[in-house]
Amino acid sequence: MTEKRTEAQTLDPVTFEVLKNAFVTVVDEMAEQILRTCHSFVIWARDFSNALCDAEGNTIMQGSQDIAVHVGTLHFTAKAVVEAFRGDIHEGDVFAINDPYVGGTHFNDVRIIRPIFAGGELIAFAQSNGHWADVGGTVPGSFDVGAKTHFGEGLRIPAVRIWSKNEYRQDVVNLITSNTRAPDDVEGDLLAQAEATRVAEREILRFVDKYGRETVKTAFAEVQDYVERLTRSRVAELPDGTWETEDYIDGDLSAEEGLVPVKVKMTIEGDKISYDLTGSHPVIGSFLNAGMGTAFSGIVAGTKTFFPEVPLNSGFYRVLDVHLPENTVVNAPWPTAVTGFCSGAYEKIMNSLFELWSEVMPERALACCFNLEYLLIGGQDKRSDPSPFFMWYDWMVGGWGGRHNRDGSNATSPVFGVGLAVQPLEGQERLTPVVTSVHEIVPDSGGPGRFRGGCGVQKGGTLTAIEDTVMSYCCDRARSITWGMQGGLPSCPHGVWLNKGGPDEKFLGAVFSNVPVKEGDAFARPSAGGGGYGDPLLRDPASVKEDVEDGYVSPEGAKRDYGVVVREVDAELAEWEVDKEATEKERTLIRGGRLGWMREDPESVAERYRGGQIGALDAIRRHGVILDWGTGELLPRTTEGFRVMLERRSTSHWKNGGPRR
Amino acid sequence: MLHLAVDIGGTFTDICVFNEEGGATRVGKVSSTKDPIDAVFESIKAVGVSPADVGLFSHGTTVATNALITRRFARAAMVTTKGFRDVLEIRRGTKQDLWDAYKDVAPPYIRRRDRFEVTERVDYSGKVLGRLDEKDVRRAAHLIRRRGIQTVAVCLVNSHANPSHEQRTKEILEKELPDAFVSTSSEVLPEIFEHERFSTTVANAVLSPLVGDYARRLAERMKEGGYEGDVLLLHSGGGVMTADVVERLGGRLASSGLAAGAIACGHLAKLAGYENAVGLDMGGTSADISVMVDGETRTTNDWAVEYGYPIRFPSVEVSTIGAGGGSIAWIDAAGSLRNGPQSAGSDPGPACYDRGGEEPTNTDANLLLGRLGEELIGGAMGLDRSKAGGAISKVGEPIGLDTTEAARAVVEVANANLADAIRLALIQRGHDPRDFVLVAFGGAGPLHGAELARELSIPTVLVPPNPGITSALGCLLVDIRHDFSEMHLVPAGETDPEEIERRFVALEERARERLGAEGIAEKDMRLLRTLAMRYVGQWRSLEISVEGAIASLESLLESFHEEHERQHAYKREASPVEIYQLKVAAIGETPRPDLPHKEPEEHEPDPDGHRKAFFGEDEAVETAVYRRDGLRPGAKIAGPAIVDQLDSTVVVPPGDTAEVDGYSNVIIKVGGGE
Repeated sequence: MTEKRTEAQTLDPVTFEVLKNAFVTVVDEMAEQILRTCHSFVIWARDFSNALCDAEGNTIMQGSQDIAVHVGTLHFTAKAVVEAFRGDIHEGDVFAINDPYVGGTHFNDVRIIRPIFAGGELIAFAQSNGHWADVGGTVPGSFDVGAKTHFGEGLRIPAVRIWSKNEYRQDVVNLITSNTRAPDDVEGDLLAQAEATRVAEREILRFVDKYGRETVKTAFAEVQDYVERLTRSRVAELPDGTWETEDYIDGDLSAEEGLVPVKVKMTIEGDKISYDLTGSHPVIGSFLNAGMGTAFSGIVAGTKTFFPEVPLNSGFYRVLDVHLPENTVVNAPWPTAVTGFCSGAYEKIMNSLFELWSEVMPERALACCFNLEYLLIGGQDKRSDPSPFFMWYDWMVGGWGGRHNRDGSNATSPVFGVGLAVQPLEGQERLTPVVTSVHEIVPDSGGPGRFRGGCGVQKGGTLTAIEDTVMSYCCDRARSITWGMQGGLPSCPHGVWLNKGGPDEKFLGAVFSNVPVKEGDAFARPSAGGGGYGDPLLRDPASVKEDVEDGYVSPEGAKRDYGVVVREVDAELAEWEVDKEATEKERTLIRGGRLGWMREDPESVAERYRGGQIGALDAIRRHGVILDWGTGELLPRTTEGFRVMLERRSTSHWKNGGPRR
Repeated sequence: MLHLAVDIGGTFTDICVFNEEGGATRVGKVSSTKDPIDAVFESIKAVGVSPADVGLFSHGTTVATNALITRRFARAAMVTTKGFRDVLEIRRGTKQDLWDAYKDVAPPYIRRRDRFEVTERVDYSGKVLGRLDEKDVRRAAHLIRRRGIQTVAVCLVNSHANPSHEQRTKEILEKELPDAFVSTSSEVLPEIFEHERFSTTVANAVLSPLVGDYARRLAERMKEGGYEGDVLLLHSGGGVMTADVVERLGGRLASSGLAAGAIACGHLAKLAGYENAVGLDMGGTSADISVMVDGETRTTNDWAVEYGYPIRFPSVEVSTIGAGGGSIAWIDAAGSLRNGPQSAGSDPGPACYDRGGEEPTNTDANLLLGRLGEELIGGAMGLDRSKAGGAISKVGEPIGLDTTEAARAVVEVANANLADAIRLALIQRGHDPRDFVLVAFGGAGPLHGAELARELSIPTVLVPPNPGITSALGCLLVDIRHDFSEMHLVPAGETDPEEIERRFVALEERARERLGAEGIAEKDMRLLRTLAMRYVGQWRSLEISVEGAIASLESLLESFHEEHERQHAYKREASPVEIYQLKVAAIGETPRPDLPHKEPEEHEPDPDGHRKAFFGEDEAVETAVYRRDGLRPGAKIAGPAIVDQLDSTVVVPPGDTAEVDGYSNVIIKVGGGE
């Protein structure tokens, strides 16, 4: 990752620019091809990516609309194919691979890789990666939260040949598809992806025809050098220095409660960026660990967020020197379970980088953003006879963090992949026995701040004609709540509620699998808002009033979180006004009391929560106390860690706050 | 009788008049005005016509597009199913720019406070799960009245499967709010997927009063001037509709301004004998690319004026890239030569305009290469070579190119960007560029057309007689057109063909009714059926056109497999297929001008002058210059040659030949037609 290559360009500037743009067009054409023919609703929602790699497997160009989480991993799998089949790769071959232990993401992300030959010489690989709806394992959707090793998660596909010299190896494909819950759709996706790689092959060969093989090969190298040069020149303009932070996974299911740290130290030196994740927690007993590839991806994606205009290829990766300590949540070895990395360590790395880079580039500051939550319900659909297997897998949008001089954006796709689209509920209701009851923005979900975090949403539903049905949830941040910075406050906890408000109400938390559900059960879960940016008491009361008029903030929330007292002028006209005097009083009261409230005895806070005097947002934002949101039981170690975090990111930035630790 | 077409753009309003007697066309161009209707009448005056002499008036306008972009439309309300008022704001959650956390998706067209919920629920099959609470509707009506809102979008979940709750809601709202305009999603776009249907309905609700009012005022002023016919407005789908329909379906005008150029491109190509055409409409800041295949201009349902808010009416498919005459060339941080999308626009414009612009643009490069002459608009405007040279050297020096080399590099990069965009439009649908003609228009299109065609292996370039006002011509060339559709999700294997036939007949009845109301005689009605199908499990469908009554589905299935193979290079004949949607396009044929045609008489005209121009070689070559208005049908020219005209410049590079056809198009044969 540190090898430096910056030899002079040898192509003339026009040929170079023409081919560079043409490579972008090639990967975009691959994306179009997949969207038009795919079967998996996950792929259709744009959970896929495409890349053109050189003969050694380095990425030449990645699709401009690709999902963040695949960024920085496609070269690993191309290299794995080269490694496995060196000397035995032929024209007309196509390979498949999904192995997270050689740099893949998780088992559902199956990559189809086609070598491209020109005049008998292997010059490139076209790679298409798509999230298949199911790849087997113990849980529908192949997301087994409790898995400690990969054997229960799903089918691991090392590099295998699925076309040999243009001959389709139906036997090999059958071995793959027979191990999934939706063999037909899976094969449909495999064909769609293979066809996308064929589109790339056709286009590359056209360039070879026109410009000659050597020119095209030179362009492959120079496009990477170009991105490296571009990135280095940007980095060189930045101040040198070292910045450190940490973020947390909620806990280790197999150990005592307590936050699980992911540590990141970033150093900028000249035109180089290095990241050292030493100090991150050892591997944990759930599937939220990240493999080496996805941890690297989190670094790439987090960095790229602050260099949005730089194209993505291996040239970008060369500027990054990344150290991932072995046997930790950021470099989990075989056979540790890693499928839930996207809700776990991956996102903690990304959000940590948002914080670090916000210090380097305050004008592009970004507080903690909502990340992926993924609810999976699978079972028998009794609406028809024979009742087919159904898969209701759902993900929501949430709020993004507050920014420099600007609120965070409401209801936006996760940082995991901003291109990941939510599914239409009308389509879901046709295909599955689940009736959606609500899909709406949640008031007060945005983390309070001078610039408020974006609002999260909630989606819930009722199960109708089902049998043998289970529910699983891949999520996090029920305890390590999406945080604010520069004095901003956290948003709200994740977690699924079953039959909320009924006699059999149950809080299932943010990670669980295979929970049996029955006809008539109702479920709901919120998505986090973004963290706030800056002291909420400094927010312009007029902005708070406007938020109340549109229902992004409740009148109670305005008072609690911002110290702004609003009065109804005419609710029918959505007209409110700020009571200036009362606001001044309230703000003075909060300013005087808030540091003390943060030190209140956690057990007494928990008691008031259990007694119904205060809600979860009071516990979190006023007192920094984390509970089991179902039982109200105090989580003392988690609370201790959470309060330390709050002091660093929030309270010490308040004008009346204590010294920064 | 005179046919009059006016096309309003952001900067200019173009007019095209066609005289049926004698078959002559007259064209004009005026600056657009604050009230766009003023420019319509200024342009009419400019060509010396009185509305009283006009027999048919058609009109394309960017009024609706601009209203959406600038949010200048009347406050609107939404009434929706309880629990779903934020569907419009949640969208599908994605952003256009995946990496820039400071580039946000625009807010929805209706604010959250004006989105009201009613208790009701219908399931996927149309079964009522919860009855409509009419008290909720009346409560919403009360709030809407108090807020002074006059247009309402009714958007209920699953209304495509059962519209009864939406219909009832509309009845109540219309009774309670007699002055308000109410659109329901089941009328506007009876399609599955809530966000897309709601978003289209909301666009219709915000636009209908606005463009309805616009159409009414335009019609009144035309009437005052003595015009007795209907005002026909061009809609996004490439047809026209009457002002009355616009009042209810204003959303259909969302991309009216873009459609006209594509229509003209297709028509001119067909007249010249080409069934497959790519349109390149290149102006000052951007280029619009459209495609006609087998004589039909390609349309799409994936359309939005702003990212995140789809308007799923069939719209002529136009892709726009930031490559125009004023696009700026620059060197990026890694030392690479780039071109666009930033543009010098018309103010200050390219450096050579000498109006304060200092950045190097495509126009500057073309001037230095001698492809553009030193004056524009017939001498009305001079171009400054030294200013152009100074600007271009700004990109030449850092990469070690002299001014001429740099100018050539700038044009080549611009052409490469255009070629990529065209390639994406053609190749990704399985079309071979060699089967196409490139129709180059707009002020800058004919400058770049021939080199671009060579780059793309397109054998022929067609340059229309008046490249700069081709869009206005497009407005003259369209029929009345409406689109009707119905969701019908059933497995093709178990479907009774008679059922499909019955549904098509019902759609056709509605189509005839609409056309009849617009005064179209039965004999001028044409109804086109298409059936959308897909493999079970797939998300996108393919449309197969249906000829005549349906007796069996076999041949349609065969066409589906074939089309899938053509577009996507594979088919799965053993896999089950499902029917997705039935569509009927209702076309009311309107009298269309016969463009003037003269039998070409082959001859080699004498050039009107010469100038030095650079092409592939290092040395400038002596290049013949012709005046377009001096060229008659049958004129044959060998490249290198340049044809100057008032609104454009046509470049015929060395090795290519050009001839003027019977419709006065310049047809360039790349490589001399070999």
